[in-house]
Amino acid sequence: MHALDKKLLRDFRRLWGQSLAIALVLACGVMILLTAFGMYRALDDTLEAFYERNEFADVWATAEKAPRPLLSEIVAIEGVQSAEVRVQEYLMLDIPGRAKSATGLALSLPENGEMPVLNVPILRSGRLPDPQATDEVLVTEPFAQANGFALGDRFDALMSGQKRTLTITGTALSPEFVYAIGPGTLMPDDASFGVMWMPEHMLAAAFDMSGAFNTVTLSLSRDASEDRVIDALDDLLSPYGGTGAYGRVDQASHAFVSTEIKQLKNMATILPPVFFGISAFLVNMVIGRIIALERAEIGLLKALGYTDLHIAAHYVLMAGLTAVLGIAIGWVTGGLSARWMAAEYAQYFKFPYLIFNVSYDAYAISGFLALLTAAVGALRSAMGAARLPPAVAMSPPAPPRYKRTLFDRILSRARLSQPSMMIWRSLFRWPVRAAMSTLGLSLAVAIMISVGFFSYSMDKISDIAFNQSNREDTVLLFTKDRALSALEDVRKLPGVMEVEGELYTPAKLRHGHLEKQLSIVTRGPGATLARSIDETGHVVEAEGTGLLITTRVAEVLNLSPGDTVEVEFMTGRRETHILRVAAITEQFFGLGAYMTRDEMAGLTRSQPQISVANITHDPSQDMAFNMAIKDTPMISGAVRVTDMKASFAATLDENISIMNGLFIIVAVLITVGLTYNSARIQLSERARELASLRILGFSNWEVSYVLVGEIMLIAALAQPLGWLIGFGLGHLMAASFTSDLYNIPMVLPPAAYATASLVVLATAFTSVMVVRQRVDRLDLVSVMKTRE
Amino acid sequence: MAETVFHTEKLVKTYHTGGTEVHALSGVDLDLYASELTVLLGPSGSGKSTLLNILGGLDHATSGLVEFRGRNLTTLSDRALTRYRRDHVGFVFQFYNLVPSLTARENVQMVTDIAPNPMSAEEALARVGMSDRIDHFPAELSGGQQQRVAIARAIAKRPEVLLCDEPTGALDSATGVQVLEAIREINEDLGTTAIVITHNAAIQAMAHRVVRFQDGNISSVATNATRIKPSEIVW
Ligand SMILES: Nc1ncnc2c1ncn2[C@@H]1O[C@H](COP(=O)(O)OP(=O)(O)OP(=O)(O)O)[C@@H](O)[C@H]1O
Ligand SMILES: [Mg+2]
Repeated sequence: MHALDKKLLRDFRRLWGQSLAIALVLACGVMILLTAFGMYRALDDTLEAFYERNEFADVWATAEKAPRPLLSEIVAIEGVQSAEVRVQEYLMLDIPGRAKSATGLALSLPENGEMPVLNVPILRSGRLPDPQATDEVLVTEPFAQANGFALGDRFDALMSGQKRTLTITGTALSPEFVYAIGPGTLMPDDASFGVMWMPEHMLAAAFDMSGAFNTVTLSLSRDASEDRVIDALDDLLSPYGGTGAYGRVDQASHAFVSTEIKQLKNMATILPPVFFGISAFLVNMVIGRIIALERAEIGLLKALGYTDLHIAAHYVLMAGLTAVLGIAIGWVTGGLSARWMAAEYAQYFKFPYLIFNVSYDAYAISGFLALLTAAVGALRSAMGAARLPPAVAMSPPAPPRYKRTLFDRILSRARLSQPSMMIWRSLFRWPVRAAMSTLGLSLAVAIMISVGFFSYSMDKISDIAFNQSNREDTVLLFTKDRALSALEDVRKLPGVMEVEGELYTPAKLRHGHLEKQLSIVTRGPGATLARSIDETGHVVEAEGTGLLITTRVAEVLNLSPGDTVEVEFMTGRRETHILRVAAITEQFFGLGAYMTRDEMAGLTRSQPQISVANITHDPSQDMAFNMAIKDTPMISGAVRVTDMKASFAATLDENISIMNGLFIIVAVLITVGLTYNSARIQLSERARELASLRILGFSNWEVSYVLVGEIMLIAALAQPLGWLIGFGLGHLMAASFTSDLYNIPMVLPPAAYATASLVVLATAFTSVMVVRQRVDRLDLVSVMKTRE
Repeated sequence: MAETVFHTEKLVKTYHTGGTEVHALSGVDLDLYASELTVLLGPSGSGKSTLLNILGGLDHATSGLVEFRGRNLTTLSDRALTRYRRDHVGFVFQFYNLVPSLTARENVQMVTDIAPNPMSAEEALARVGMSDRIDHFPAELSGGQQQRVAIARAIAKRPEVLLCDEPTGALDSATGVQVLEAIREINEDLGTTAIVITHNAAIQAMAHRVVRFQDGNISSVATNATRIKPSEIVW
């Protein structure tokens, strides 16, 4: 090994504390990049493979009841590659040993006893039901697992008012239900919702669908226009009660998974640059200082005949070693966390397999970026070192020139103590460095705020959703829309106290060239259980001829109160009406539009109807209530809003705690990286100055004050800037998480700012106090003797 | 007549600092010969180090001519000067300039790593009597020992010229003698041309020739008829 390389390794070992502090920040960037990128790839690859192998459809449409021969016309639509029709119905399930009801989505299997052509379920155990059987079903694997089912187990289903006992012949997973969510619910609950496949004749007989279908799935040929196929399909199905075809974007499972994938991609691109940027700055600062300290050695190397390249490379390599350390830590932790996260996702999404290709390119890219970061950070100083004329390098650097500026005059007016004066002077002697350190620390604050706001906004979401808007205990879903009199039947169920009905009508809203498909919800006057809240927190009701729309719908369609919007109803007479936007409401889940029962009845010239009943009930009569609804034919499902609220809080609390914990670590690492290095450099630059103060009779603490004071001053200056950046970054994060599925509000109470500041200031103080110990050990004699 | 190693004509070096001009060298004409040991004397600020730096290729002259074995140094590029230093010149400085994180042997290896025809680090250290301290770090050596390591480092490449800027400046007389002894041996055994800057007029007695500086110019050149050994120098 060359002597110069030995020097490199020994210097690196001597500076291990500083190198490690930088390496950890770098490792964060590498780790996040690997994890997010690895996850993104795993999800994307798995999804793509699953879709491809199992023929995930491109377009879906439902109708009330359409004749089977229509299929040939559907297939004939230009751009359709293959199409398949089926019967699908929601069933009320009664599972042995489970008090509450569950909901099943039953899909018919082809009559030939084979798998469907599109959205092919992948068999996980057992077999398909016998096409002739009258009681056999294939169920989704998570549903079977959550309910402890084995092959051959039975459960009851209410099919069109008749209770049928079904036997499980097998379990499966489907590309259509990677994210399986029951009707009217916000989160997957495997025990209370399952998809099941059964021979067509079973569903046809029970639901009077012989020779008919109510669902179409189709795949598109390579360069087909999805919009045109959807329009053609809508035309074909509208006589049969078609409710509007839609593509993958609006398919619930796909929409959810693809949103998740998009977020991972965002994370892989937004966050790592922050870490790499800070690392580059740290490298720059530390290498710059090392070079300043080694001027004489650089001169010597030159005198000995080492070339500029040798010398520049020496210092770039020093940074390179730090990068290698950071990469090693980042690769190990990133590799582990990507695997761990992949396992988590495999639980969350129902994939039959997870394609976790170790993405060597992600390793390569993150490694390359980390090395590049170090090189960029070191290059300027290293080139400067290489360019030092040898004769100059050998002589000690001229003492820094302090100029009397306006600022100095202010300072001297302020009559500060000498140590305070030293702090301020130094800040203004290296304004760029002070500014960069401030920026770096403010990023640590900002990163915590940008994630910390989630827990507050989830509290708000939960409050608005469950305490203000959806105050019912349970939503009962009717098998089909009913007259208002159905509410009277609901009222008779055991323990039911309050009852209100709502009607869901699929519609297309248009404003200019903008269009959105959603369900318009119709409520009775003075509804108190399900209601809308405006941005100021007040209850708003649709009145007269107005439509209430949620903020997300207003954004997507570019609507404001007072605007008119074209509404095409997808049921009944399928008429189009022009309605006025009465107000904007705050709702964080899904899309929504609301109008009064009277107006809807007027528009459709029909009796008022309802699709669901919102109820409150007496907890002491739960048993009887649960039993009763399992046997009520008109009810296809019950959504427990109270359970949902609890599981929402539990799921999010866990995720948010993990995320907050992670980002606190990240902020701490950044802060340590910055303050520890700054303090070490301060100390090294000022050793002489500080020793002189000691010799003059200042106490250890007075001298430490200069060191601690400057770092803490920078840390304090970083706070307001951090709040500001955090506010912006938080908005960016919220926006990147917002989709048709969720709308994340920015809620930033003072506590969020305070927590972030506290963590960063405390960390900064601890780091600088660790370095401060060196002041006590300052060897006054040798410091004054050294040349420099 | 010995071969001319260095030849300067009207050598000028001017520094511009803060609006004032400093003539560190104002027209130096000098010839230095192969295998000669020359001592440069002169008051502080008279231009000795400046001349040595220019001869050693550490610095550029403002005007005038410098030749090394007939080769014009003034027109060389930085890259060529680096090559020149690497292949021909050995430096010894007043403050030793050892790399603190490298042992004595490794400090010498810094040179043997890149020189075209070096002796081994062990041999170089043996020549200066440092064989028993070969694996010590600079902090574990006395000033004189450090300076001897620096000399070993300078001679390890078998340089044609050895340039020493106040090599004994930081040393007491006994240690200084050891260092001068080392320089003299190298000059005699290897025939290395040596230039030694000093403030100690007593040292001139060991030189073949003595060059005196005054205000950026040579005030006198004297040849010693008889030389004494460093050990006989009275400090
Ligand atoms: N980098 C520089 N910038 C400006 N002036 C310089 C520089 N280096 C040397 N000088 C000036 O050039 C003159 C000659 O300096 P030089 O170092 O050659 O003197 P010296 O004879 O070696 O003195 P000493 O015995 O004190 O080492 C001095 O006046 C000095 O101030
Ligand atoms: Mg000098």
